[in-house]
Amino acid sequence: MSATVLHAEVGVSDEKQAAAKSAGRRFGALVVRLGAIAAFAAIMAYFVIFAPGFTSTFNLINVVEQSAILGVLAYGMTAVIIGGGSDVTEGGIDLSIAANMGLCAAVYATLLSMGYGDFLSVLAAVAVGMAVGALNALAVVGLGILPLLATLAVLNVAAGMELTLTQNTVVGASSPLLGVLVSGSSLGISALAWALIVFSAIMIVLVHGTSFGLRLYAVGGHPEAARAAGIGVPFYVSFTYMLSGFCAAVASILTVSRLSASTPGSGELLLSVLAAALLGTVFSRRFVPTMGGTLLSVLFIGLLANGFQLLNVSSYWVNGVQGALILLVVAITSFARGSEGSR
Amino acid sequence: MTRSMKGLVKALALGLAAACSLAAVSGATAEELSLKGKRIGVSAIGTDHYWDLMAFKGIQDRVKELGGEVIALDAGRKDQQQIAQLQTLIAQKPDAIIEQLGNLEVLNPWLQKIRDAGIPLFTVDTATPHAINNTTSNNYNIGAEIALQMVADMGGKGNVLVFNGFYSVPVCKIRYDQLKYVLTSFPNVKIVEPELRDVIPNTVQSAYSNVTDMLTKSPEKGSIGAVWACWDVPQIGATQAVEAAGRNEVKTYGIDGSPEVIKMVMDPKSSAGAVAAQQPYEIGKTSVDNVAKYLAGQKVPPFTFVPAVLINKENAAEKGKPFLEAAEKAGVK
Repeated sequence: MSATVLHAEVGVSDEKQAAAKSAGRRFGALVVRLGAIAAFAAIMAYFVIFAPGFTSTFNLINVVEQSAILGVLAYGMTAVIIGGGSDVTEGGIDLSIAANMGLCAAVYATLLSMGYGDFLSVLAAVAVGMAVGALNALAVVGLGILPLLATLAVLNVAAGMELTLTQNTVVGASSPLLGVLVSGSSLGISALAWALIVFSAIMIVLVHGTSFGLRLYAVGGHPEAARAAGIGVPFYVSFTYMLSGFCAAVASILTVSRLSASTPGSGELLLSVLAAALLGTVFSRRFVPTMGGTLLSVLFIGLLANGFQLLNVSSYWVNGVQGALILLVVAITSFARGSEGSR
Repeated sequence: MTRSMKGLVKALALGLAAACSLAAVSGATAEELSLKGKRIGVSAIGTDHYWDLMAFKGIQDRVKELGGEVIALDAGRKDQQQIAQLQTLIAQKPDAIIEQLGNLEVLNPWLQKIRDAGIPLFTVDTATPHAINNTTSNNYNIGAEIALQMVADMGGKGNVLVFNGFYSVPVCKIRYDQLKYVLTSFPNVKIVEPELRDVIPNTVQSAYSNVTDMLTKSPEKGSIGAVWACWDVPQIGATQAVEAAGRNEVKTYGIDGSPEVIKMVMDPKSSAGAVAAQQPYEIGKTSVDNVAKYLAGQKVPPFTFVPAVLINKENAAEKGKPFLEAAEKAGVK
């Protein structure tokens, strides 16, 4: 059999095979996805039945409140993954986002304690957050460094600057804005919970309801195709890092309101942020990150810790089980995506 | 001593004996305490240090001993997590909450919310106006005693390296303020500025490099006389640094009494000068007894002090032993 014949034969059967394969793949992915969602639902059902007080409105609003900071950060991370592609090693990722929040919180709290008002302090926090985002964009887009490494380096820069600024101490803060965030409420929902609801709505509309969002997915999914279609890929990727920095700044204000201070150790949140953004992919039909999926997984993570506490399961288990679930979901997600990739 | 003074001393001694027997009586009633059918929430900022773990364990063991149910929450040194845990805990409406350590600035608004929800709040080692009772060591005493021991060992003069990274933690504030107060009487003992910052995590490593740097900066022997920290984990790093630099004239001082540090003070060759050893397990247990008394309708004082012991080079062999035995018994380290 000559090579040309083989080639022709493959060419003929290729389309049929591909069609069959893609149908099978779609079915397999559907099973995996529904399985993961069923697992989430089963855990929730267990909590609803056995965890005392789990379904009370008060408790659920508490969980939304507790999820606000993680949620805002996870949106930033999700945007970066959408724009940079969801390949774990080479795709978009912002490891500096939690440290950036720590830095913004330190700037915000320090300026407030020095007597500058809310307006200037918020402005400075947002400026710092977006400047860190711009640094990420410069490293990734301008210098072409792998996002994993570039943002890791920026993480250290941000963490170092926070330490320099606060000397690793707690900086107490109070202001009218913080007062509203702490004790304000409307329609029985607290200000912090509102913050998450409003921010979620904005992000979902921006990414899933505009042509801008559509182009963002194109940039992340097929950068060459996007470039060929005349989309300014560098601009979009840079934008996601700036947006991530903006999210860090918003989250920092929520953090300072919740803790009445900026405290060291914000970097610890990074793992939960990554987990939320990655877990969220199971809620999408094509295993891509979506804002809605991220919101669901943020709430899931919050409900998990809450349910465990209500069941009086030792808090030591929470991290372990959370980690195991993340591993499971990430494993099946990359398995499903892997089979998609090897077409 | 004049005769009247002798009489006074005798009277005082008698009074003390009476107080002791009274304490024994109240100890007897303590055995009848019960927490049957009660749920007690316990929130600790972290349990990665000997003191924290022992106190946390003491609380849980005692609640179970008294027949109560314990909701034990360890925030793993994360403020966000502790706040979330407290928020959920308030919704769980336990019969009482015991809060152990943490940043007061962060905690206070939430402790207020606990009281607003009508839940009795007790604290361990955390002085706050929101608590019904704070069970702790007498940190005023501890702070003064360790400072005086340091001044005595220095011969009343010299420079001190001070770790002051946790002034926002109430017990550290008291101990630091007491150090400053003692030093007002000894103007020849000077704190080196800027002060050092102890950190969590990597406390030992960071203290080691901080002290090493400072010793390098002041190379002449005798230019630094002592290192002070408001707890004893930085003291471990400081002691190692002093010994590695061969600057044995520098002695280290700290508070808590981790077994590791007590062993250092017991070792005559070690640069660890003294440590004020607390009884964290007892502190935890005593806090629970206070909860039980309060829930039984008895009156509870705003604070309860559990005795601490200053362990120095002279008394270490004798005074250190019971602390090491207690640690072994509790199965920690």
